[in-house]
Amino acid sequence: MAVEELKRFLSFVILCFGQVLVFNHIRLFGCAMPLLCVYFAITIPRGYPKWASLLWCFTLGLAVDVFSNTPGVGTGSMTLVAMMQTYLLELFVPRDSIPNLESSISTIGITKFATMAFILVFVYCLTFYMLEMFSFFNWLQWLLNVVASTLLTFVLIMAFEYVRQA
Amino acid sequence: MKNLIAFLTNYHHWFLFILLEIISVVLLFQYNSYQGSVWFSSANLVSGKVYEVDAGIRSFFSLTRVNEELTLRNFYLERQVAQLRRLYGDMTKDTTIMERQELEFLSRYKLIPAKIVSNTINKSDNLITINRGTSDGIERDMGVVCGNGVVGVVYMVSQHYSVVIPVLNRSSSRISCSIRHRGYFGYLRWYGGDPTIAYLEDVPRHAHFKRGDWIETSGYSNIFPHGVLVGRIETIYNSPDGLSYRLKVRLTTDFGRLRDVCVISDKDIAEHARLLEQAEDSLTMKPK
Repeated sequence: MAVEELKRFLSFVILCFGQVLVFNHIRLFGCAMPLLCVYFAITIPRGYPKWASLLWCFTLGLAVDVFSNTPGVGTGSMTLVAMMQTYLLELFVPRDSIPNLESSISTIGITKFATMAFILVFVYCLTFYMLEMFSFFNWLQWLLNVVASTLLTFVLIMAFEYVRQA
Repeated sequence: MKNLIAFLTNYHHWFLFILLEIISVVLLFQYNSYQGSVWFSSANLVSGKVYEVDAGIRSFFSLTRVNEELTLRNFYLERQVAQLRRLYGDMTKDTTIMERQELEFLSRYKLIPAKIVSNTINKSDNLITINRGTSDGIERDMGVVCGNGVVGVVYMVSQHYSVVIPVLNRSSSRISCSIRHRGYFGYLRWYGGDPTIAYLEDVPRHAHFKRGDWIETSGYSNIFPHGVLVGRIETIYNSPDGLSYRLKVRLTTDFGRLRDVCVISDKDIAEHARLLEQAEDSLTMKPK
């Protein structure tokens, strides 16, 4: 149990600093930014206490926000994604699977994992840009940001997942 | 009662969810109006330190280019000073007054060198964090410049770090600028997108200028001294209401490669602000 928590804390730190120091500086074609901290929410195992997963994601969002001067933006969207993940995972895993199953390609299969990851990434990007551009009138740019960031983040997460399997 | 407790224990995560979302929304809306929020920004000590290490590594790799740029700029300025001194000497037959005036001008302003520890250019409201704060003599509303031109205005200050609103901040940055040698002024705005293009608004219709003219700070606000380079006019448009010109300006500052900046501390700024306040007070008190 303690080892699991330690692992989670380590991935928390890696994703937080990865997002702040590397991914925040990437902007492909002026619109696609990888928002990889959502990967943290995707890997929360089934049966993990809901309040704990909410608090973990809230804290990760807050940490990223503090570094990138966007208070509330990452925090709000990460909390929403954490809430969705706990219910979404139930839909994708078989009823009789082990209680602390962690979602990955090897445990639930590539199609299910990809669908789940895509939904969560999309929701995250949607809320993230909605909160960030609260007063921004340029909706075309907004749409472009959401779509491009979703695709880029999704591709990166799938690549990460493959590397983890190998 | 039993049912109520059962309800609360079954759905306690929903309450937590709502509470956390409320906290995020409060953070989102309070940030800009609440000065104490320096703790929730990149100006707090922990994130400042992390960014400082990060910026140290990054700036090491760009040293060659920075050096090249500075050498060029230095050369250009030296040549300009020599030329101006010669011209001034020719006109006044007095070669010492120039040096005296120069010293006087410079002693009004104090330059505090600072390093940028975090910077974005891809959002609509970008912010810059620098590694100097109140303990280095930095206060709110001081101007920030770099070797190539204007950068922005100090917005929040903690003890060792400050957050700067750069020109590339769509909703908060308005810098008063004028056209060099022509005197007409307007204010500089940025509308997102390309970080090398900004717009000079409210230039009067009767102004004379042409493409390629230089834009510099006007010195009206006392945040920047007169004559800090801003950019060059690229295209001239009419403003949407047709009452003034809107100039597309190519900025001389390359925000994407910014590392070293200077904060301008004006010793008269407090006096200027006090005077302005008094003037505004006396205007509002005047009976109609």
